[in-house]
Amino acid sequence: MPIKNDLQGIWNKYSLLLGVILFVLVGCEQVVEIPETEAAFVLPEVVTLEDFKLTHPRLGGYGLDSTRGKWSLFFFGYTHCPDVCPTELFMMAEMMRAIEKNPPTDFQVPQVVFVSLDPQRDTAESLQQYAGFYHSSFIGITGTQSAVDGLSQAMGVFYERVYHRDGDVVTLDPQEAVPGELENSYLINHSASIFLLNPAGKLHAIFPPPHDPNKMIRDLAAIQGAWR
Amino acid sequence: MHTSIFRALCTFLLALSTLTVNAESLVVTDPWIRSAPPNAPTLGAFMVLENNSDSEVSVVDAHSSLEVDRVELHRTVMADGVMKMVPQKSIPVPSHSSTVLKPGSWHVMLIGPKKVPSMGEVVQLTLVFGDGTEQVVAATVRQGKKMMDGHSHEMKSD
Repeated sequence: MPIKNDLQGIWNKYSLLLGVILFVLVGCEQVVEIPETEAAFVLPEVVTLEDFKLTHPRLGGYGLDSTRGKWSLFFFGYTHCPDVCPTELFMMAEMMRAIEKNPPTDFQVPQVVFVSLDPQRDTAESLQQYAGFYHSSFIGITGTQSAVDGLSQAMGVFYERVYHRDGDVVTLDPQEAVPGELENSYLINHSASIFLLNPAGKLHAIFPPPHDPNKMIRDLAAIQGAWR
Repeated sequence: MHTSIFRALCTFLLALSTLTVNAESLVVTDPWIRSAPPNAPTLGAFMVLENNSDSEVSVVDAHSSLEVDRVELHRTVMADGVMKMVPQKSIPVPSHSSTVLKPGSWHVMLIGPKKVPSMGEVVQLTLVFGDGTEQVVAATVRQGKKMMDGHSHEMKSD
């Protein structure tokens, strides 16, 4: 029968591949325990990031080494951000206050790091003043545009500069110079995901929006528990 | 002595103005400004706009008693995980409906405040509508919505 032969052919062709896939899946499962989370996307394998060189007014240079030994929550934004960044920073401050009030057992308090995508307008001092307002533990770091681009690209953060005039979005050709009056009025559209780095300085999980501080705390506790 | 009575009276009248039904049937409730760092380059103003009339009403502009560079209307939208803050020509309120200005959605943006107001301060906002009419509301500066207790509607200020 023609149909039966076709199926036999397909099985012959793919059975080996299927076998390899199953072997790899079973093998992987034994290596890493992925905890169950409500909101976080835990990476099947932690990602080693390229080192970065950003700065903080008090801590000086800030790179991968600075993140080792603690769990860090990285969020990318800018101080001229009309809505998203204040909302996210306030959410994370609420999370910190909840942790302070009711810490989960054996919980390591995370370090919130606010990275500016806008070094043209955000200085290290103004950024820290901004981030520190939401919670005294928050740190803001920035650097050259290429240093910021490097880190954000490594984590998979998308962002674009948008100019507008009279309520309309103005699209500029890359060759076009920015009209004087628009120069500093641009907005930046950006990913609002929060990135979790583990104490080894590896990218461990991603929290996509929308964010709920309660869920984040529970997920962090689950992730920390599975990592030990 | 007289100044403090005068001030108290003004505050009382301003507070009343947030509650009275406007002749144009557009009711503004719970106007507030989100508290921000002292060096914040922008401030967000939020409120609930309730339209009890038979035709659509739009907010086309706004002024504030705060000294700012300019005021804009914005809407935050999320597309494929990217948050876009899109400037708007107007904020529409359909007939017999409400539009809620809140973080993550529609909002009035006060750009370049000379001095960021502190928590509890009251700022006068003048909303300008498409038909040319205006309405003045008193917005109180407070922290963001309380997210921890799960309520999405906050009527009283912090």
